[in-house]
Amino acid sequence: MIPVNVKVKNGYDLPVEGKPLCEVVTLEKPSHVALLPEHIPFVKPRLLVKIGDSVKVGTALFEDKRSPVIKFLSPGSGEIENIEFGPRRVISKIVIKLDSREEHVELEKLSQQEIEDIGQKELVGRIMKGGLWTLLRQLPFRDIADPGITAPSILVRMDNLEPFHPDPEIYLESKTDLFSFGMKVLNRLSDSVVVYTGSKNGYAIKQVGQYLTHKVSGSYPADDPGVVLFHTKKTANENQSWYINGQDVLLIADLLKNGRYPVERTVCVAGSMAKKRQHLHTRLGAPVSHIACGSSENNTRIIAGGVLTGYSVKSDSYLGFYETSLTILPKGGEPEFFGFARPGIDKSGYLNTFLSVFNKNPLKMDCSMHGENRGCINCSTCARVCPVDILPQFTMKAILADEIEEAAAHGLLDCVECGLCSYVCPSKIELGDIIKTARKKYYKECM
Amino acid sequence: MRIIKNIFDSQRKHFEKNGRLRKLSPLFDAAETFFFIPGDVTQKGPHVRDSIDLKRFMSFVLAAIIPTLLWGIYNAGYHSFLASGVEATIIKSIIRGSYIVLPIVAVSYGVGFFWEIVFAVKRRHAISEGFLVTGILFPLTLPPTIPLWQVAAGISFGVVLGKEIFGGTGRNFLNPALTGRAFLFFAYPSKMSGDTVWTVVDKIDALTGATPLAISGLVGAGGKIESALTSAKYSFTTLFEGLYPGSIGETSALLCMIGAVFLVVTGIASYRIIAGGIIGVLATGFFLNFISGSNSLAWFSLNPFYHLVTGGFAFGITFMATDPVSAPGMDTSRWIYGFLIGVLTVLVRVFNPAYVEGTMLSILFMNALAPVIDHFVIGIRLGKRVPNV
Ligand code: SF4
Ligand code: SF4
Repeated sequence: MIPVNVKVKNGYDLPVEGKPLCEVVTLEKPSHVALLPEHIPFVKPRLLVKIGDSVKVGTALFEDKRSPVIKFLSPGSGEIENIEFGPRRVISKIVIKLDSREEHVELEKLSQQEIEDIGQKELVGRIMKGGLWTLLRQLPFRDIADPGITAPSILVRMDNLEPFHPDPEIYLESKTDLFSFGMKVLNRLSDSVVVYTGSKNGYAIKQVGQYLTHKVSGSYPADDPGVVLFHTKKTANENQSWYINGQDVLLIADLLKNGRYPVERTVCVAGSMAKKRQHLHTRLGAPVSHIACGSSENNTRIIAGGVLTGYSVKSDSYLGFYETSLTILPKGGEPEFFGFARPGIDKSGYLNTFLSVFNKNPLKMDCSMHGENRGCINCSTCARVCPVDILPQFTMKAILADEIEEAAAHGLLDCVECGLCSYVCPSKIELGDIIKTARKKYYKECM
Repeated sequence: MRIIKNIFDSQRKHFEKNGRLRKLSPLFDAAETFFFIPGDVTQKGPHVRDSIDLKRFMSFVLAAIIPTLLWGIYNAGYHSFLASGVEATIIKSIIRGSYIVLPIVAVSYGVGFFWEIVFAVKRRHAISEGFLVTGILFPLTLPPTIPLWQVAAGISFGVVLGKEIFGGTGRNFLNPALTGRAFLFFAYPSKMSGDTVWTVVDKIDALTGATPLAISGLVGAGGKIESALTSAKYSFTTLFEGLYPGSIGETSALLCMIGAVFLVVTGIASYRIIAGGIIGVLATGFFLNFISGSNSLAWFSLNPFYHLVTGGFAFGITFMATDPVSAPGMDTSRWIYGFLIGVLTVLVRVFNPAYVEGTMLSILFMNALAPVIDHFVIGIRLGKRVPNV
């Protein structure tokens, strides 16, 4: 099959310093692991365990009240040491103290042949029981895929241009067979499985070439499933397509093939303040401090996920279910003398107002706002970066005027929450956040 | 740097909640943030932000305008001497010009800033950097002989009625500098047009020149504007370079062009508006050439390129029309908007010789139409989306 080229015109590659090296280190077993329900979007958790319970790898810890077949399993065997609640009784963490026995809940194994023969419902049931159905997400809201519908298509993203995410070269290493197994599974779930990678990712193209349907070229977030869907969809039916990450395809395959809840994850540690920038083989829900390997906490911000879409975590927290990267950046926040008049050879700029236009090196970025909030001047910089051709300034104004239908006509639901509009806005308007909040509200009202 | 920081730190208490000057806190903030970009960190995603802010954005516009100001100073001084028959040196011209121009600029900034503070205090919002640009654009469109009280009246009108009554920067739909200019034009026509306002003279009998547009307007049907201009010593090159009497900052098309390139390359201004405007002027000009007969107005047969270098078109299209707040936001709309400004500029000049300043009127008119253009262009664009609701 010859992959179709998808060109994404808008977008922007952040010139941020701190790319992880292509080395992999296998971390030793941590003393604790945890699951963070608060960072699993939309889920309404109902606890199935209490403090002091002993659990195996694969014991269900909580289920989704909205659909109790969706269960979240324990990433370790040991004892529930703590269950922490956040504001409004949201369960923030379920912490497990690991024992040395490493007992597993054993599930049935499936061979390649059985995958093809088994009924579709049955297959879905097995994945659910194995706790990994949650890896399939449904556009446009990115909630857990609804097993009640047949996915118009499933998009498999092999890489992620956002700084920083694990390189397929690391997680796919010697696992191409497992990937093929996973592809068999996905093919049973939908008639159309779209596998794509960046057009420059030679490794992924070579390894999964036989499954590759699309090659994506463009800057971040060209390889976001929402963006790929936006640029390939022909009809409104496709809006509810599902997507899954390449690494997660391996997990589902692993689960079905070996009959055990897989807990290994390949994560990367990156960012200019990371002590060691590298890839790691570690466990699901490992402690942040364990993964960050002694990076300084002073004046740094630890971000789970990429620098544009991730959330900040404390060093005593754990890595969330969906996250496979930690990025550690300088916190910033120093007032800057005559900041607006500096030549800026080391300042990032989407518009060409800094001398960094001539500086091709990655730049040390911190978490400063670099300016104050002002009214929108209608400069359309946000519209120039938006990968899905939304006009963020008009959409924002529609939202603030409570014209939600108008915002939807503008493509509110096509927004991939990439954050670029907020990033570039010279008036420092929280466009991305305003749009994201409106999307959430819209979804709640639909449900 | 330390010292400045200490000054601000020690004075801050007066402007805080219970300080005696708390009402003036926008003033304090404006001053402080001029020296220091505040050290706020991101609270909501994305964790990192671009280094640009509105101060940088507006200072780039300012930087592009400054050459026309400097030229305006020299030009005003030079012609002031020339009117009394003296061919002055550069230095002398600049000194004389500074005496003429700087008070006008100072009044514009001073009075305009006063209104900005009044509204910032009243509405409790920060003082917007947009005023840095308005405050300089406005005086540059005025004749050097303008009485200072009219400068004050014009900028007040522009800032208050052109901007603040709509809710401040970003909510206005007219360009405030142009609004002020138009106000003066209609309220005090004698000071804004005619042959005597363009040069500052100290003797009554000094010889002042008419502007190129005024000369062109006088050429009868069937005549040649080019030759009339040439005999008044306004060759195309002179008009392009800008050494002739006119509004303070508008005479040099060359410097406007340099400013335009600077703004476009840095990504601050939309090249679509500027290119659209130039195409609009040339297209209309050539069209008039095409339909002109032997006894049609002299304007009809004018080489269209003359339209680009006279009457502040270059200045208007570069600095006024590209003001993003009053221009449309969509790329296609910007082409249309620029193009129509060009078309209207020429048409106003040709068909309404009383208002030879066609550029100003057409930009203001198109400012008002900008939301309408956007409305239609957005409608078409949204229609092309695969719906997702
Ligand atoms: S980038 Fe910011 S200021 Fe510019 S149009 Fe978008 S929202 Fe408005
Ligand atoms: S609206 Fe903003 S966050 Fe959404 S896709 Fe466009 S640029 Fe990204």
